[in-house]
Order: sequence, then C-alpha cells, then structure tokens
Amino acid sequence: MSAGRDTHSVADARRRLSRRQLLGHAGGLALTAAALPALPGCTGSGTPRSRGASDGDDGPVTIQWWDQFRPLTELFENELFAPYSRQHPNVKVQRRQLDAPDLAQALQLARRSNQLPDVHSIAGLQTSAAALVTTGWFQPIDEFVDLEGSPVGQYLYDGIHRFEGRVYTFPLFSGQWHDGTPWLNTALAEQAGVDPAEVALTWDAYRKVLRQLTTKTPDGVYGLLMPMQEPGYLGSRLSTFAQTAGAPGSIDWRTGEYVWASEPFFEAMEYLIALQRDGVIHPGSASMAPRDARARWAAGQGAVYMWGPWIIGGLLVAEPEAVERGIAAWRIPAPDANDRGFIHTEPASGPFWLSSQSQHPDVAADLMLQMTTDRFLTLLAGAMDQPPIQINLVEEADVHEAYRANVEFMRQDVRQAPVPQIRNPDVADVLVEMQDIHPNPGEIVQAVLTGSESNYRAALREYNDKLTAERDRAIKAARTKGAEVSIDDWVFENWDPANDYDQAKYAEL
Amino acid sequence: MTATPHRERSTLRRLREDWWIYLFLLPTVVGYGAYTVYPLVASWWYAFLDWPGFAMRGTFIGLANFKLLWHDDLFWNAFTNSLVFLIISVPLRVGLALALAIVLNRPSTPFRGLFRTLLFLPVVTTGAIVGVVFTLILDADGPVNLALVKTALIEEPVNFLGNAGTSLYSAIGVWVWKWLGITLIYWLAALQTIPHELYEAARIDGAGPWREFRYITLPLLVPFLLIITLIDMVGALNVFDLVMTLTGGGPAFSSEVIEVYIYRTAFQATVPQLGYASAAAVLFGLLTMVLAVLQAIGVRSVRRGMAAR
Repeated sequence: MSAGRDTHSVADARRRLSRRQLLGHAGGLALTAAALPALPGCTGSGTPRSRGASDGDDGPVTIQWWDQFRPLTELFENELFAPYSRQHPNVKVQRRQLDAPDLAQALQLARRSNQLPDVHSIAGLQTSAAALVTTGWFQPIDEFVDLEGSPVGQYLYDGIHRFEGRVYTFPLFSGQWHDGTPWLNTALAEQAGVDPAEVALTWDAYRKVLRQLTTKTPDGVYGLLMPMQEPGYLGSRLSTFAQTAGAPGSIDWRTGEYVWASEPFFEAMEYLIALQRDGVIHPGSASMAPRDARARWAAGQGAVYMWGPWIIGGLLVAEPEAVERGIAAWRIPAPDANDRGFIHTEPASGPFWLSSQSQHPDVAADLMLQMTTDRFLTLLAGAMDQPPIQINLVEEADVHEAYRANVEFMRQDVRQAPVPQIRNPDVADVLVEMQDIHPNPGEIVQAVLTGSESNYRAALREYNDKLTAERDRAIKAARTKGAEVSIDDWVFENWDPANDYDQAKYAEL
Repeated sequence: MTATPHRERSTLRRLREDWWIYLFLLPTVVGYGAYTVYPLVASWWYAFLDWPGFAMRGTFIGLANFKLLWHDDLFWNAFTNSLVFLIISVPLRVGLALALAIVLNRPSTPFRGLFRTLLFLPVVTTGAIVGVVFTLILDADGPVNLALVKTALIEEPVNFLGNAGTSLYSAIGVWVWKWLGITLIYWLAALQTIPHELYEAARIDGAGPWREFRYITLPLLVPFLLIITLIDMVGALNVFDLVMTLTGGGPAFSSEVIEVYIYRTAFQATVPQLGYASAAAVLFGLLTMVLAVLQAIGVRSVRRGMAAR
C-alpha cells in the first residue's frame, strides 16, 4: 500500500462527515432547539415568570387561588370568580382545590420556590397564623381594601386577623361549630326501627341506638363509622366527648393548666372503649381516613358518622344520592342531658390570606373583599360547608333541614374560648417553639382502640405532664429570644365556660 | 514499513474530538445531579439546621438535631420497623421469585407466558393505588377475611391493617406481592445464562432435579443472587407510597417505617421540622451503612473460613 493512497484516503475521511459526527451535530442542534424557548423564562433573579400576567393592571391578570373547600367549588366558580371576571374582563382566576394535608405540603414547597398562589388558605399548616405572619408569608390586605367598614369588620381580632395594627385576613366562617355531629342515614334508621327525629341526647341512649342500628340492619352494616387511621380525628372525638362531660377544653382557662388527664377525658376514653366493645364500630374503621369514612357512610355501610357541618356540602359534590336517600343531624350526646358541658372553640380565624409573593395584591385583595357581602355570605350558607360568620344567615338560606338543625344545635352547644395570643401576640413565639409530644391524645386513642395500649390513664397523664413541661421550656426559649411572655398569659380569671369570651372580656383584663 | 506509534490523546484533545459524547451525557448528568446528588448533599447540611417548615431558611445548631434524635423513641421505632421490613421482605421476595423462576423456566410448565404476565402485572401498578386497594382487600369485611372465615382457617375476621401486631407484616406481604414479578424476571434472565449442556451432562451422570439445582444451578446463580438481593434491599427501603396509603404508619406507629417518620416530621408536625427530618434521614443512612459494612465483614470471614476448609 503506497503512502500516497493512505494520505488520500485519510484526507477523504476527514472531509466526509462520519456517523458519529453526524449524531453529535444533530444532538447539539436538538438540545439548542429545546433550550431556546426556556431562555426568556430565566429572569436571572430567581423569580419565576408570572403566569399569564403582565406588568400593568390593565393587562391580563391571572389570580392563583388554592384552598381545601371542596363543597364551595361551585359557589366560588359561579358566584365569585365568574362575576368578578365579568366586571374585570382582564382578570382570570385559577383555583386549585386540595385536601388539607396535601395543601400544607404544596404551600411549603411553593413558598420556597417562590410559587405561592396569590390567595390561599392555611389548612393543614397547623402552625399558628401569627408565626406565618411574622415569617413573611402574607401581606396586609388593608392596604388595598377597607375591611373595618365591611360586614365582617366587627369580627376582627388582634392576634388572629390583625397583627401590629394591620389587617391580614378576615373571618368568613363562624367559629361556632364542632366536628362531632352524629350524621344519621335515615334510610338505615327506618330499617332498624329508629326514629330519626328522636335525638339520642345521652351517652347511654346513643350507645343503645347504635346497637340497634348494628343489629337491626343488614349484615355488613354497622352503627358507627370511626376513621381510626387519622389520629387527629380521634383526638377530636375524645376532646368533644370530654367537653360534653364537663371538661373546659384541653386547657382550664381559669388556671391555664392542661387538663388532658382529668376525669372527663378518662370518661370520654371509657365511652369510646365501650362503643368498641359493643361492636357498633365498623371493623374496617381502623384503616379509614375521614373521607373514606364519608364515602362508606354514603355507600350505606354505616348508619352514623360523626363529622363536621360540611358533610352535606361535601356529599352533594361527590355522592348526592346519599343526601337524597335521607340524612339527619343529631345533637352531640352528653353523659347527662340536663347538665351538658359546652364545647369551646376559638374565634374563627381567616380562611384566606394574601400571599406576600402575589404580583397583583390589589386585584387579589379586591377579589377577597367580594366574599364579605351579605349576598355572598348568604350563598355561602347555602353551600353547606362551615356556617358563615353571620350564622343567622343560615335561617334565610336555602339549606337542607339537617344542616339547619345542626347549626341550631351548635349554637346551643358551642362557646367561644379565650385565646392567649389575642391578649399577648408574643404567645405566638411560644407556640412556634413548642415541639409536638408523641403519642398525643389522638394517637393514644388509636392505640387503645386497636388494642396496643390498655393503660390510657397513664398515657394521658404522661402526655399532659410532657406537654406542660414543653410549654414551660418554650416560654423560656421564647423569652431568651426577646418575647415578653409568661404562663400568666394562659390564665383568664374572668372566663365563664357557659358564655362566649368576646372582645369585651379581653378589655376587662 | 514501520507502524505509526500510538500516542496518548491529551484530555483537551479528547474533549474537543469527543464533545458530542459529553453533550449526550449532559441531560443525564444534570438530572442526576439536580434530583439525586443535590438533595442528598443538601440534606446533610439541613441536618445541622433548626429549620421550621414555614421559614425560608434555617439556623445552624450543630449536632443538636442528632442529639435529640438519639433519644427519640419514635425514631428508633421507625428504624426497627424498617430493618424488620428489610430482613423479612427481601429473602421472601428473592427466594419466592427464584422458586417461581425455576418452575417457569421448565419447558414442561404449561402456560408459562401467561403466568409470567400475571406475576409481572402488579409491578406496573402504582404503589399508592395498590395501597388504597389493599385497604379494602385486607379489610375485616374484605375478601381475604371472607375466604379465611369461610374455609374455617380463622373463626373471627382479622383486622390485618388495623392491628398493631399485623400491620407491618401485612405491608410486607403486599410489598412482596407487588414486586415479585420484577425479581422473577431477573431470575429468569439469570437462568438463561446457565448452559444446557451442564444439565445434560448431569443427567447422563444420573443426577436428579435436586442435585441439578444444588450443584449446577445454585453455584452459577450466586453472582446474580448478590446483585438481585442488593437491588431488592434498595427497594425495601423505598416503601413510602405503599405504607402511607396502606396504614399511614399506624396504628400506633406499628408500621411506621423511616420514610414515613421523616415525612411526618417534615410535613405533618404542628411546626414542620425540616432540619430534624433531614437529620433522621442522614442518621438512618449512616446506621444502614454501618450495618452493611458489618454484614460485608461477616460474609467475607465466612467465605474465608469456607475457603480454608
């Protein structure tokens, strides 16, 4: 082989494009073509491009709205967003509805990646709202709208809606509710010979009727559904039953002490155990979450499900036939019908907040303000979720009779409790410092009802003691960081459990 | 004619000439770096921070998270549950899949293709959906209990998922059922590498099925056994979606594995604790590494002992 021929073939090879070179060039071109559209989205500051928004108020504006209120979907879309868009043609609202736990995660991740929606609720974020305010999650809404002059202005509280003189949110729903209403499948009740109108007012009567609903209904149907997979639900059952038995709540506001290890809580625990022993609880309850239990109730596998006022609104979205079949609300039973304890709740907080990352806070705030009109609040009542802040509107609203009856029961049974952070905003710093104690009461109930814990008294005492110690530690830690707070902030000598602790009471302190 | 001496290409020249190779590798490297390496390294740093979930960043607190963790009973509960899950599920999955693979590898087995497909189907289902469906299947009123009661194997239905004594083992059973098919495929592939001539020669020498398995199949599968076991062990430490939907880690933390513990601490606490959750992940990784090293030392000394004999 001559060197000349070699040189000629090498030169030819260099001129010709090899397969490898072709693939390489094609790959480079393809990657460049793919990257080109993304380049304008890089603002360089870490701030993502606004979603469909322009810089001026006259340009197209998209408001992102996240919440957990499934029953309110139609109301929001048809009575809030659509009318607003008709009045402001450049404004579009995109709503995302998530379950509370999912919403909490999504919000945390969105905040860190600078993608929070303009308006969102804080369901699932059990952290005190005050802590979220001080860490810059929200911006004041009063800069853009006048809430003090609105129908909800009288319901604004320092430490809950107002922080350092600025209004961040407003209550939409009444705080006068609880999530322990026994909702009865009236069709099954009639099969079992139970009169839905005869409300079982005492614990004994309730046990008796649940036994009847279990034995006199077809196989596979039980008296009570109790989602045991979620400790929060079980903790709430324990607390509401304990309060009907006379507990002041989890704290005795006259002394500021935790009372998880008091007699009413032991009685409530024994009552739950008794229900378990009676065999009236659906055996699948151990692997149910609250929405599973609602679905099973709708499917007719249980006659009674204890849940909040929003059950009818939720059923109408997913299982409307369950409402048509028949539903009744009973008053939450108490050990003694003539000496019932009250259920104590905090004043309603704001369900919706204006994000500090909102690019259009004025538009978002204006949209939120539309929810404070009497018309919207009446329609809100009609959606049958939590009752509206002006709870009397339920009487005029187009609601199911069971919903109306339940609201009346709750007006009789629920009283507003004191809130330490209203009295002293620095209490929020203590709440942020406090670590969860495990097992908590809900987890203790779960362990007891699933057979892995028998000494619930010791478990509740241990929890109570650890919680007390944790609060003391958190108070010390908050004080070292500059908070002016003490255990006295949890003591309200002028508290009367039978009456609401309203704004005037704080002024007396 | 003298041959042209081979010269080593300089790195720069290699890069220039083979740039297209690196271009094709870039998406994988970027993706792996962004979604695997970065979170891993970041979590080591976060473990030293006090970082409530609602704050944008945390405060450096040194080893405080690890000190708290060391005394956290629920961490050790989750760690133990994860180990139990690993120790029971992996041998079960590997052994059962091997037995099935041997049966399905025989030409005489009827409907081999159908059985392979049926066993592989659960692999392609989503873990979370499997968890949800099995809450109904394993329900006290579900078909499993119905069958067990009707066949008089048990008198009363068993609440598999609602009982602290059975919840973890039920999760193990569901996980093995779901992933058996993929291990089966690994074993089937491994079995194809064994030359048929060896079996023919063994049969000529009078070896029966057991001796064929003991002296031909098993020794030649050992290298595959190590790899498949390792793959399955990694899988057994990634059961979050299944356990979360099946039991939520309950009842009473009886089925709470380490991933669920980390998730609960990071997202479900009253004040979400990202630093603490990261510390749990790091500590679990370190402890698992220690166990793996001890295991490797143990296996090596056993092998040395066998070789010495």
